[in-house]
Amino acid sequence: MSLPLLAASDFDPVAEFTNFIDHPYVDLPLGLDINKAVIYLWISGLLAVVLPLLIIRRGLKARPDGAQTTAEIVYDVAENQIARAGLPEENMRTWFPYVATLFVFIWMMNLIGFIPLPFADEHVDLWGLSIPKFQIYAATANLSVTLTLTLCTFFIQHFEGVRHNGPLGYLKSWMPSGLPKFALKTAPLLILIAFIEVISQLVRLVSLSFRLFFNLLAGHLVIAVFLGIAVLLGGGQAVFWPVHLLIGLPMGIAIFGLEFTLIAGLQAFIFASLSAIYIGGAIHPDH
Amino acid sequence: MALTDTGLTDAAKALELGLATGFGAIGPGIGVGFIFGKTIESVGRQPELRGQLQGLMWLGFALTEAIVFYALGMAFVAFSIV
Repeated sequence: MSLPLLAASDFDPVAEFTNFIDHPYVDLPLGLDINKAVIYLWISGLLAVVLPLLIIRRGLKARPDGAQTTAEIVYDVAENQIARAGLPEENMRTWFPYVATLFVFIWMMNLIGFIPLPFADEHVDLWGLSIPKFQIYAATANLSVTLTLTLCTFFIQHFEGVRHNGPLGYLKSWMPSGLPKFALKTAPLLILIAFIEVISQLVRLVSLSFRLFFNLLAGHLVIAVFLGIAVLLGGGQAVFWPVHLLIGLPMGIAIFGLEFTLIAGLQAFIFASLSAIYIGGAIHPDH
Repeated sequence: MALTDTGLTDAAKALELGLATGFGAIGPGIGVGFIFGKTIESVGRQPELRGQLQGLMWLGFALTEAIVFYALGMAFVAFSIV
């Protein structure tokens, strides 16, 4: 967006997160288009695989340098804080890789999302070339991505629950312990509790996916709104434009710092932790 | 002025988005405050449990904070379908 050409009323931060669906790079049937979100997924997936490989292939040292220390901290958090907090000890070998992959992949997607990359729908003409403008967009600020990851966890949870406890035993484990025996008198209460438990299992789909999606979407929107205030209104269009500039710019930078350092990692941590807790809870319902 | 007037509808939509998100943020705000306050209290009582308590604190923080986003999500839905 160029300063003098754009009126404040044209500013629509939500458009970055919806309009790209209509402009895919490669148009494929069944909605399998290759669009901006897919490119972001590829970049973050590639980085999440290549960066750890580079650090390991370089040779691990007894006196670790900066990169190796960082990798070791990430591994330690994934093993001790995330996997061990939720998964039973005997299932660590099976599901620790999945949980750690979720953590690293989502974290990478979130971090890439805060780096301005030239993938915007709007183009600028520079020396006869049409170059896309820089923007911040995250693959996780897209409900399809987070819901797919949530569905992976959802199916693994129920598959493991049925595998370890049997179908009936697993369904029975949803009911809280200490309930009265099934009789004519207690039947309405038990049916109500069973109904609530089934709903709470299904609500996990919504809560797990919406938490990640809206955290990233709202974070990007708040940054865009504050910087928009600074650039559009603070650029001379408003009467008290220095006020807009003085409020918008520091707030935008502060929110950006908060999101990049804390929220990006925290949301990946939470998603992986809850996945581990759900899978572990299905394998061993008693604790 | 009729209710179908665009200016009035826009104003109502803007109010709706702000009010829904704002009211939705009250409860989780109190909850997040509780979680951090209680964690600080617990660490003050038993500083050796700091590591475990921090993990629990971030988990509780994220679970509580997600409620704001339900309000925000519903506000966006109402904003875009009216």
